[in-house]
Amino acid sequence: MTTQDIIRLLRAELLTGSADTEVCGCYVGDLLSDVLASAKPDVLWITIQVHRNVVSVASMKDISTVLITCGRKLDTQTIAEARQAGVTVLSTPLTTYEAAGKLWETGLR
Amino acid sequence: MDNTTLIRRPAGAADGRKVTLAQLLVYELRVRDAMRKDPVTARPTDSLRTIQHLMKTHRISGVPITENGKLLGIVSIEDIINALDKGHINDPCEKWMTRDPVTLRDYYTLVRAVTEFDRHGFGRFPVLDACERLVGIITRGDISNALVHHLEARAEQAVAHEAALVAERQAQEQVHRVVLRATIKSGDFDSAGKISQQMREILRQRGIAPESRRRAAIVAYEAETNIIIHSVGGELRVVIEPDRVLIDAIDSGPGIENLDLAMQEGWSTAGPLARQLGFGAGMGLPNIKKCADRFEVRTELGIGTHLHAEIQMKKAELNPGQTTP
Repeated sequence: MTTQDIIRLLRAELLTGSADTEVCGCYVGDLLSDVLASAKPDVLWITIQVHRNVVSVASMKDISTVLITCGRKLDTQTIAEARQAGVTVLSTPLTTYEAAGKLWETGLR
Repeated sequence: MDNTTLIRRPAGAADGRKVTLAQLLVYELRVRDAMRKDPVTARPTDSLRTIQHLMKTHRISGVPITENGKLLGIVSIEDIINALDKGHINDPCEKWMTRDPVTLRDYYTLVRAVTEFDRHGFGRFPVLDACERLVGIITRGDISNALVHHLEARAEQAVAHEAALVAERQAQEQVHRVVLRATIKSGDFDSAGKISQQMREILRQRGIAPESRRRAAIVAYEAETNIIIHSVGGELRVVIEPDRVLIDAIDSGPGIENLDLAMQEGWSTAGPLARQLGFGAGMGLPNIKKCADRFEVRTELGIGTHLHAEIQMKKAELNPGQTTP
């Protein structure tokens, strides 16, 4: 599944990164340590966190794409950091539950 | 000069006896290395008086007599004393000189020269080259001087060699060992992850496998955020060696009250701000422990906490088509 598919499915907005970024799998988590411990590389990470540490954790775990839910946005500096780290960031108005449900339904495992 | 051969050769030659460097040099050096070159000479027609003056002027005790570069004889200081005694000091020297004196060749080893001195009891030998030309004169004193001179040179070489080795080793260590350190302020969530980022970049450049890099990054990041969340401040130190990463997180307090509880997943004493930012999952220390190959925490209430972790680094396998992220 590519970022483009996710944007269409979840009415998401591309904050930074490429629309062609491929994700394989998904992880949901708002606790950074939990994501550090459990998320696999190259997954889509769904979170409501918008702090810049999201970028740190994502790049540390080689997570290619982060989806921010509930319409939250990153500030411009954090977006710049994400761009520099090569992390694609999306924002959706849906809740984490709705977003994860739709992705699961579509077949993203 | 190669020190290894220097030590090996005599040991074999001397049947395991200890051989001093001086003994060695006697085998290595040649007469040409010790002799005085371009010796003062006289012609056969010169008087013994002339030769006496030559000896006085040049402070020498023997003068070879030559004709067209060919050695005819030698006049020693003993010959002069005899001439003075017997009253023929003004005679041409060819009449009283020692004819066809024993000579040494310039390519003889010094050990052979010493043997010749012992055998003949002479104070000096004229030295000829392979073409029978007179090229020098040698005394026992010249041999001693040459040995001392070469011993000094060898000693200097050895010292210089040692210094070069030390310098090389230090330079190598500097290349392979990188130390990153940063002061961590309490509550400074914005700065979290910078050291970890730097470290990952260095490891990536060194071709370390992504999995090893991630483990090191998690340890550094969790250790750093621990200081930010829980302590009054401290220091994070990351040492990158060729095959491992050492991480030390040292804070100035307050120390962990119950380390067993802190090591339990889900236990956290993080405050509301930290929790709001996604910290305080109670997984910091367990995460570090899981990612590190060696892990140690020393903590004392009121003093502080020192966390030490070591992570072994594996090189990325070079799979064509698979690039390291």
